Amino acid sequence: MNIIVCVKQVPDTSEVKLDKKTNTIIREGVDSIINPYDSYALEEGVRLKEKLGGKVSLISMGIPAVKGMLKEAMAAGADEAFLLSDRRFAGADSLATAYSLYLGVKKIRDYDLIICGKQAIDGDTAQVGPSLAQKLGIPHVSYVISILEASDKKLKVKRLVDDAYEIIEVELPALITVEKGINIPRFPTIEGFFRAGEKGVNVWGADDVMADMKHIGLEGSATWVLRTFAPSYEKSVSMISGSPKEQAIGALKALADAGFMEIGGEGE
Amino acid sequence: MAKIIVLEEKCVGCGKCINVCPFNAITLENNKAVIGDACVMCGACERNCPFGAIKIERIQGYEQDISLYKGVWVFAEQRGGETAGVAFELLGAARRLADRLGESVAAVLIGDGVSERARELIAYGADFVYVVEGKEYENFSDELYANACVKLAEEHRPSIFLLGATAYGRSLAPRISSSLETGLTADCTVLDIDEESGMFVQTRPAFGGNIMASIVCPARRPQMATVRPRVMKKPEPDFGRSGSTVMFLPVMAGTPKARLLERIQEEGFGTSLSDAEVIVAAGRGICDSKNLELVEELARLLNGAVGASRPIVDAGWIDHSHQVGQTGRTVAPKLYIAAGISGAVQHVAGMSSSDFIVAINKDKDAPIFKIANIGIVGDSAEIIKELIAQLKSKQAKSAE
Amino acid sequence: MSNDIIRYDVEEYIEYMRDESRIFGKANSISFPTSEAELKRVLEKLAESSETVTLQGARTGLTGGAVPMEGHVINLSRMARISGLRFDGEKDCFFLRVEPGVLLSEINRAVSKLEFDTSEWSAESMDALKELKSSKGRFFSPDPTETSATIGGMISCNASGAKSFKYGATRNHVESLKVMLVDGDTISLKRGRERIEGGVLRLTTQGGREICEKLDVYKMPHVKNASGYYLESDMDVIDLFIGAEGTLGITVEAEIGLIPKPACIYGVMAFFPDQEKAIDFVEVAKTLERRPAALEFFNCLALELIRANMYKGHLPDIQRIAPVCHTGIYAELHAMDEDSGKGMLEALSALIEDCGGNLAQTWLAVSKHDMERLKEFRHAVPEFVNSIIDDRRKSEPSLTKLGTDMAVPQGFLRDVMRMYDEGIQSAGLESVIFGHIGDNHLHVNILPRSMSEYDTGKKLYGEWAEAVAKMGGTVSAEHGIGKFKAAMLRKMYSQDVLDSMMKIKRVFDPGNRLNRGNLFG
Repeated sequence: MNIIVCVKQVPDTSEVKLDKKTNTIIREGVDSIINPYDSYALEEGVRLKEKLGGKVSLISMGIPAVKGMLKEAMAAGADEAFLLSDRRFAGADSLATAYSLYLGVKKIRDYDLIICGKQAIDGDTAQVGPSLAQKLGIPHVSYVISILEASDKKLKVKRLVDDAYEIIEVELPALITVEKGINIPRFPTIEGFFRAGEKGVNVWGADDVMADMKHIGLEGSATWVLRTFAPSYEKSVSMISGSPKEQAIGALKALADAGFMEIGGEGE
Repeated sequence: MAKIIVLEEKCVGCGKCINVCPFNAITLENNKAVIGDACVMCGACERNCPFGAIKIERIQGYEQDISLYKGVWVFAEQRGGETAGVAFELLGAARRLADRLGESVAAVLIGDGVSERARELIAYGADFVYVVEGKEYENFSDELYANACVKLAEEHRPSIFLLGATAYGRSLAPRISSSLETGLTADCTVLDIDEESGMFVQTRPAFGGNIMASIVCPARRPQMATVRPRVMKKPEPDFGRSGSTVMFLPVMAGTPKARLLERIQEEGFGTSLSDAEVIVAAGRGICDSKNLELVEELARLLNGAVGASRPIVDAGWIDHSHQVGQTGRTVAPKLYIAAGISGAVQHVAGMSSSDFIVAINKDKDAPIFKIANIGIVGDSAEIIKELIAQLKSKQAKSAE
Repeated sequence: MSNDIIRYDVEEYIEYMRDESRIFGKANSISFPTSEAELKRVLEKLAESSETVTLQGARTGLTGGAVPMEGHVINLSRMARISGLRFDGEKDCFFLRVEPGVLLSEINRAVSKLEFDTSEWSAESMDALKELKSSKGRFFSPDPTETSATIGGMISCNASGAKSFKYGATRNHVESLKVMLVDGDTISLKRGRERIEGGVLRLTTQGGREICEKLDVYKMPHVKNASGYYLESDMDVIDLFIGAEGTLGITVEAEIGLIPKPACIYGVMAFFPDQEKAIDFVEVAKTLERRPAALEFFNCLALELIRANMYKGHLPDIQRIAPVCHTGIYAELHAMDEDSGKGMLEALSALIEDCGGNLAQTWLAVSKHDMERLKEFRHAVPEFVNSIIDDRRKSEPSLTKLGTDMAVPQGFLRDVMRMYDEGIQSAGLESVIFGHIGDNHLHVNILPRSMSEYDTGKKLYGEWAEAVAKMGGTVSAEHGIGKFKAAMLRKMYSQDVLDSMMKIKRVFDPGNRLNRGNLFG
């Protein structure tokens, strides 16, 4: 089975802080990492390859430095990597990104399955996967937490929706997006690192994939960011001091005062 | 091609753009900003330059006559034989937007034997209900539902199309927007119309919830957005409202390539958190995974559910289904007790509409206190222990 | 000074009666001075009643050094400013001036992000900061596991960590110290300036007191060491105070060195089919021309512990490593550029294969994120040990783990490993062995299931200490002696040596008021 895994390099948003004065994101010193959900996608791809044969190809879009991340991902089991990197791809929203990846996938050509992470932690939109599937005219299944059966023809997967699990059978070629917890991604190995070093990363510019310039990058983006601002939710808090016991009693009394009689009240 | 330029006559070399650039793409050369290859045209520099010296020339690749598009649509998600609550919330929002624009509200209702639910949608604010009915629509299907929505939108040309940011909505919406080649903004928390331009302004948390971004879709229609359940207020239904039902049959539904084989609904699964009136949530500040037992006990005593912040879910202390926040669930209980949660914006985004918030944290400067009604500075585990003791003694008293 | 700086309501400060050793003590009063001046006034006040003084930082120590047994507690965690920076061109080193209460994690964060509160910095410091910002990146190398330790605590027990294999312990990175004696007098010490020559200590305090004392020099083990005073016949006086566990004076300010940060770091976690092969690997890796920055050991039981306790998606998946590869070695490579890093990695890889390892089953961390994950993996062993002991304490509250901290000289590694393995096996105890094998410094953790096992373990521990001392090793290589291991120090040194140490103690603290109970019991 030939598998394409889409990966994105993202800032480690757990480290990102807001500069309260300027209302901007402070990213100085924040590391770039592989989107965590994508590392589950990669691992799932490598496991399927180990079971069914074939290969795992990585595709990403980003600045040239993303090559480093792709090499690390190769060290964790992928066979080859393609990076869409061109100034003209810059500023893409999820629509333009899906289009660019669509061109990349078409150029890779041979695939049975595309695996994406559920979403990227910097945008949390979860749009590129389904959007790419639509462009390719293939089915997709989101939020997969387990692949129950896999063959060259179809997959049977379990997915997590808001209040239930669903068992879904999907004909290949198809795209799935995977949840955290579907697997434990393997750690990169020295052997993989040397292999990645030999193979390298294929970099494709906009012309290499014959992109329609009107549909890529900022120009191809339907959405624009109008402004950004700090979220504010100020309330006036009443602080309860004293020993832990006094604080507990005080809190229950305050709850009773606020109308939670069944909690803070004196009983029947 | 769209490009970013530095107006050299305006640039004074103050370096502010360097600090605000999330991608370290800007350097100073000869005291002028120079934008390097790492630039992804996010526009942070353009928005923050005090001298207006950086300009992104936005050229829209797509051409479309947007004046032909009218009306605000809502996807009426079906679940378990009824319309999902988020659809009613969205109808309320759609009504407000449509009244501002002087346009109508329509609901898209897809399923098998669902047409009678149109009345309810009208009561909540729809002027039209487009019904797509048939055996093949019995179960949710990304492919079939997307195709139906795309056909409907191509034929009736709505200006705005809203979907719930539920599992289905977040999966379906991008297929529709991709096919219509239009913009889609995920997980919006505020929807508005810009007075001047009449543009639909969609606000959502970005960068892991660290910052809010207002997003527009200037040149493409429909302007699509998904909205988190429980963010918009559900309006009061008016069953006296009139509206019309339009049956719609898309050509050739066909057989979807992804088919539902089985649905496993677990008792209390997941919904317990969203529906709970009381939530006791734990964060890293409870120090030890063992203290989760205390949190669970307190939740039990209060007939509530257990919530969690992302760090302790990531650390494997508790299952992801308990996670509250931007990447977890949005909740709005009557009472939210946050124990050892510092109040990172991304957590707050998921619980700030709780009616009453009690925050317990060691750090008196923790941001959680800014949104709390009651604040307790102290060791979370200790204080929960005391709360449990107090509640137990009260229960014992009332049992006497 | 407000009169209430000395608090007598100690029942409100119960948590300050313990540290990570989990020994509980008691005290009459406590203070939290925020400046040198406040500290001086506390000491002067205490001198009136000759009260004993126990010093504390973040109380992360494992030997009870910060646990008071009586008298007054001075907690230094509020003297926590990073107060300046200096560039020494001759040594090509930046020196950061810090107060004792600054946490290691704060130092690391500030240095890596170059974010300092410079509101009280001098012009010279600001110039140095400019210089630092334009240099290629620097770091403070000592890396004890617990980054919430204070720098004062680290200096007092000469803390080290994995990377001290390459960079040395805290001692190697302290350039100057300002020390306050128990009477409130101060001395300033700078490397190369105040010297002990021919065993004679000469010093003048700020208050004008002249100290001239002939010290009885003793022989110290030639290993990484944190047991007793550091003394040689010719040395810098500053080294006497580093590792003195607060028994001589109180660090009120220190200058610590920031050295060039390697541009290329690889973390390698290799697994070997048996312990002998793993030790073979270590012995050769130590002799490599460009040797690793750290070499850390996990015996099969330590890896087994991780296997049994790892939770989903958090630690690197050790289940993927074939169970036959049961002994682990972590090696960290530091290079100033990528090419030389790759060269080091290739050399190490060849060695791993020579010793029975498999490169397809050898983890490699390149990104900071993966380095972090390997760090968590390494720290998981002591964490799991603690949580098992915590569980057992529910039924047997007086149970604690027994952790050794001994190091032996080069050439004795296999002997000491054999001694540990045989001792544990014949006593039938549950244990794990892990730690800084590059320095021949392993932590044996015994996990007693009952008080009788605890007693057996303690006896075994005593026997090991004697044997290690005979090999010329140390009973504590990095944790210090504190109160917990005072008996161990006696196994390591003769009464003559201890007398000589006590003589030093009397020079600076004649009333034995400072950290009484530490070192000497």
